[in-house]
Amino acid sequence: MTRFVLGRLAWMVAILLGVSLVAFLLMRAIPGDFAIAAAGSQSVAPEVLATIRRDLGLDQPLMAQYLRWLGHALTGDLGTSFVTRRPVLGELLDRLAVTIQLTLLAAVIAAAMGVATGLAAARLRGVTDWLVRLWNGLMLAVPNYVVATLIVLLFGLYFPQVTVLGYTPFLENPLANLASLLLPALALALAVSVTIAENTRAAVLEVANQDFVMVARAKGLTPATILRDYLMRNALTPVVTAAGLKIAALLGGSILVETIFAIPGMGQYLFDSINSRDYPVIQAIVLVAAGIVVLVNTLIDIAYARIDARVQM
Amino acid sequence: MQESGQAAAAAPGVRRRGGLGQGWPLLGLGLAMLALMLALTVFAPLVAPYDPSATSPDSLAPATAAHWLGTDSIGRDVLSRLIVGGRTTLLITVTAVLIAMVAGLILGLAAGYLGGRTDEIVMRLLDVVFAFPVLLLAIAVVAALGPTVPNLILTIAIVYTPAMARVVRAPVLSVKRWDHVEAARSVGMSEMRLVLRHILPIVVSPILVATSLTLSQTIFTVTALSFLGLGPPPPDPNWGGMLSEARQFMELAPLTVIGPAAAIVFATLTFIIIANGLREVLDVGSVR
Repeated sequence: MTRFVLGRLAWMVAILLGVSLVAFLLMRAIPGDFAIAAAGSQSVAPEVLATIRRDLGLDQPLMAQYLRWLGHALTGDLGTSFVTRRPVLGELLDRLAVTIQLTLLAAVIAAAMGVATGLAAARLRGVTDWLVRLWNGLMLAVPNYVVATLIVLLFGLYFPQVTVLGYTPFLENPLANLASLLLPALALALAVSVTIAENTRAAVLEVANQDFVMVARAKGLTPATILRDYLMRNALTPVVTAAGLKIAALLGGSILVETIFAIPGMGQYLFDSINSRDYPVIQAIVLVAAGIVVLVNTLIDIAYARIDARVQM
Repeated sequence: MQESGQAAAAAPGVRRRGGLGQGWPLLGLGLAMLALMLALTVFAPLVAPYDPSATSPDSLAPATAAHWLGTDSIGRDVLSRLIVGGRTTLLITVTAVLIAMVAGLILGLAAGYLGGRTDEIVMRLLDVVFAFPVLLLAIAVVAALGPTVPNLILTIAIVYTPAMARVVRAPVLSVKRWDHVEAARSVGMSEMRLVLRHILPIVVSPILVATSLTLSQTIFTVTALSFLGLGPPPPDPNWGGMLSEARQFMELAPLTVIGPAAAIVFATLTFIIIANGLREVLDVGSVR
């Protein structure tokens, strides 16, 4: 077990280095001169450009630049925004807190909806099963930003008095905060809930045919007990895995959904930075978001190995 | 999100039943939808009733006999823009996925068949790309290189190659140890012929299913990029861009949003249906 964990952690560090190299090189690959992009204007005096080059270390070899950038990033210096001229880290952390809140809320909604519909489909079968599967099939084809746009449209057309856009900070008003995140989280959760529903349904159907469930039924346990102690327990593992795998999807989806609902999270930050060509911010967000996904995936792998010893092989 | 198309594939052990029908009828329906979409987009200039970039004073008009889906905020015909925009969106999607398929096929065959050091190096490099969330990597690359059609195609192709390579590698690893392959090798068949005659046919089914699933996910990625302002430059229409532009006035002309939304869903659904149909017909297990 220790060996497996150490191996996974070493591999995680290697992947993170690869991720950081990609994030670094991409922003050096932008068309034109990075110093001009940093200056924010084409008509800059050559002396100013030279100073910028020296300050950003652009006159050094690429490898040295990467190591310097990486060293700074590791000590929490993610660079300075081209637009606000302030350190990226502070703003990014504020935004990240909002995105994490949104993602967690979406995960809870997705798990609740997915387990409920998946369970209903597997236990009731018949029309319920058919309807759930039809709904799942259709929802797979509706991207989260389309759902989000249609929700905003729907409220705009039929409930114009309800404010669906914008965000209230948690400390200001916890209830209003939850209300402002509910619809975006729902838009984000729908596609993920489909995966969880399909996995729950498949897992419950599989477990329901096992001998130990037959034995449980034969010895007279009530259907409710069998459901709780036998089916749910065994069906939960694939559900947890699916939810973990969807972290990347939720983070990616939040970019679009936050932009649509005007939620000041990391996604909206990225959207704004793309439009203002604020490359250090784009770079920092790519690094942090990809880092989170790699970290979560590693943790899931390790947790999974603890639950199921076969994974280690 | 980007992996959503794989959800149906993730159900382990249970034969999928009901829901959206099965096998040949499903595949037929999907192919018919694809044919309709391709016909509309290939002959777009002939089919579109108006010039998609021509503006008119009649802006944000509701659906009329003249404009079936109304007009947008500067008076352009929504239906014409949808049809012509489908051209750009599908061109990027299909080209990129075909490139990813060929690249994944070559890398997966090389890694699986040659094994050892080659396998290790190829798969580890692909793992780094695979570690990125698809949309995030695509955004980073396109933001850095600039949103042109070739850049978009290249980016999407890179992003989806690792998944394709994995789909190919797994069956190759087991097939190369089968008796008929050993037999062919022992009678002196050349390596190249061996791969083409005995290994390649085994991967055809899984890669066909994976390709159609990837197509459905790519529709999402391409339109999402355009939605974020990282799509092909204006004034040429594309579905993601249309949806994004229309949001400002959508309460005044809902069709400007519902049109592109329906087109995106239709295209995604088409490829998911084809993938599920292929899976049943070719009897492929879960593709990951």
